Amino acid sequence: MTSPGRSQEPHRLEPEEFFEEVHSFEFWFQAVTGYLTGRPYGHRPETAAPAADPRERERLLTVLSSYCVGETAALEGASGLVAIAPNRQAKIFLSTQAVDEGRHLEVLLHRMRELGCARPEEEVERRASQTLFTFKRRLLDLVASRDWEAAIFAQNVILEAMEFVVFQTHARQADPVTREVLEGIVRDERRHIGFGENELGRRLREAPHARARLAQVRRELDPLVLASFEETLAEVGTPRAERPELGRNYLAAVARLGFT
Amino acid sequence: MADFLGAYSIQSWLESAPQGYLVGTEYGHAPGEREPEFVLENPVLRAAAIRTTVQLVVGERCALAASSGLINCAPDEASKRFLATQTIDEARHVEIFTQRLFDLGVRKSELEDLLKSQANPHLVRFAQVLLDKVERKDFVAGVVGQNVILEGMAFHVFELMHAGNQSLNPKFAHTLSGTIADERRHVGFGENRIGSLIREHPDKKPEVQRMQRDMSGHMLATFAASFRDGLAEREEVERVQRAAAARGVAEKPATWQGADLQALEPAELEKLLGETVLREFKVRLGRIGLEYQTPPGP
Repeated sequence: MTSPGRSQEPHRLEPEEFFEEVHSFEFWFQAVTGYLTGRPYGHRPETAAPAADPRERERLLTVLSSYCVGETAALEGASGLVAIAPNRQAKIFLSTQAVDEGRHLEVLLHRMRELGCARPEEEVERRASQTLFTFKRRLLDLVASRDWEAAIFAQNVILEAMEFVVFQTHARQADPVTREVLEGIVRDERRHIGFGENELGRRLREAPHARARLAQVRRELDPLVLASFEETLAEVGTPRAERPELGRNYLAAVARLGFT
Repeated sequence: MADFLGAYSIQSWLESAPQGYLVGTEYGHAPGEREPEFVLENPVLRAAAIRTTVQLVVGERCALAASSGLINCAPDEASKRFLATQTIDEARHVEIFTQRLFDLGVRKSELEDLLKSQANPHLVRFAQVLLDKVERKDFVAGVVGQNVILEGMAFHVFELMHAGNQSLNPKFAHTLSGTIADERRHVGFGENRIGSLIREHPDKKPEVQRMQRDMSGHMLATFAASFRDGLAEREEVERVQRAAAARGVAEKPATWQGADLQALEPAELEKLLGETVLREFKVRLGRIGLEYQTPPGP
């Protein structure tokens, strides 16, 4: 697709036009086209990973299983949010997010197959972090309750910030194929976090009392996030001394978005 | 099932749509293409184009709500991922048809009021029947309603509009051609995925068939109202065609389903469209083990 002329520099647009532009399918396509072209299932065909030793392979499969639960939560959350989004632009953005999350799930399942796992869906059920299943249930409850601010906060701030921090950390120490897959996902997460920050920032300016409700959601979800970090980092093999840093990075990421 | 669903993966979608037939397009058409002057400058034709496009936006908003709502009640992950691609397809359709309204001179601030005032009430009821099923998380009925009935209808309506606009309005015809390619994929999924689910849940048949009957009734009423509303437009189009012919500008004949569209009266066109869609419904419903139910007459 080609970019409409006005898309060349969206930050020069008036606020209303900027909002319309960055939530559009056209903008989504411009954003993903560079890093998805020539990367079927999230990595370049020529990228190769050295054969992992059996214990490392098992650990990686377990971690990828947990990631799949996070991405399934994100897919179901984003698609559920389309129904309660307050305007056309947000509905269209969330549709692009739903396909991003579906792609993440697909590339992670595909990576598990590349690692020799014949039935990755069954492995996900068997291996994934129970803490993440709890997180998923809670997120989908918020979406089902049609509480737009709380659900967007849980989905596009908490869950996306959690995935952003974990995937970025894991990518640094992953094999080349897994690294490319994770880096592609992280680029999408940036866009999703941007939407959450923008949407909630505007809403909280109009309704500051909602901040207390979001703080309550955060108090409930943070322990699940931090516990899932601990489980994931142990599997990835991150030394115990380095693990608290990830939690701090997550808390800092959420704080940077203005949610302390 | 896994093999068939492999063909509906996000990777396949990326390669066929964004990296395939949408490459080099802008809001579904070639960059720089505009609505023709004879539409923009003629109040009757402009109003008709707006009224028609409103129905497309209403239909696509329904499809977006239905496909995104079905993700959470899909029984397997591969279906969820396919429905994610359908969700973004429908969002794209909402976007490109909404953009057409803006191209036709509708102000952004007028959009929602325009949709409310000009949406065909039968089409709104058609959408409600489907969205009730989605709201109740009824996956089988939802997919039949969305991917067989709604998409089957949209496919033929888009094809008819495409045939009628190829020569008169290439921009709109190009916009439609991408949506036709999308709808073909969606219809294929519905037919392939639901057959096995209907076999597993034969008790669902009567309810799903009732939904099909109700949706078909509202669809036919929508067609009747649209063709009735289009009489003045028809006269204006014929006037434009005569003027073009007088200038020696030959127009390619528009044919669809073997019929010369310019030679048909609106009532004949309505009959052709209705019969074509219903014939297709019967075939597709039969393939998934359902029997077509005739809606009550008007």
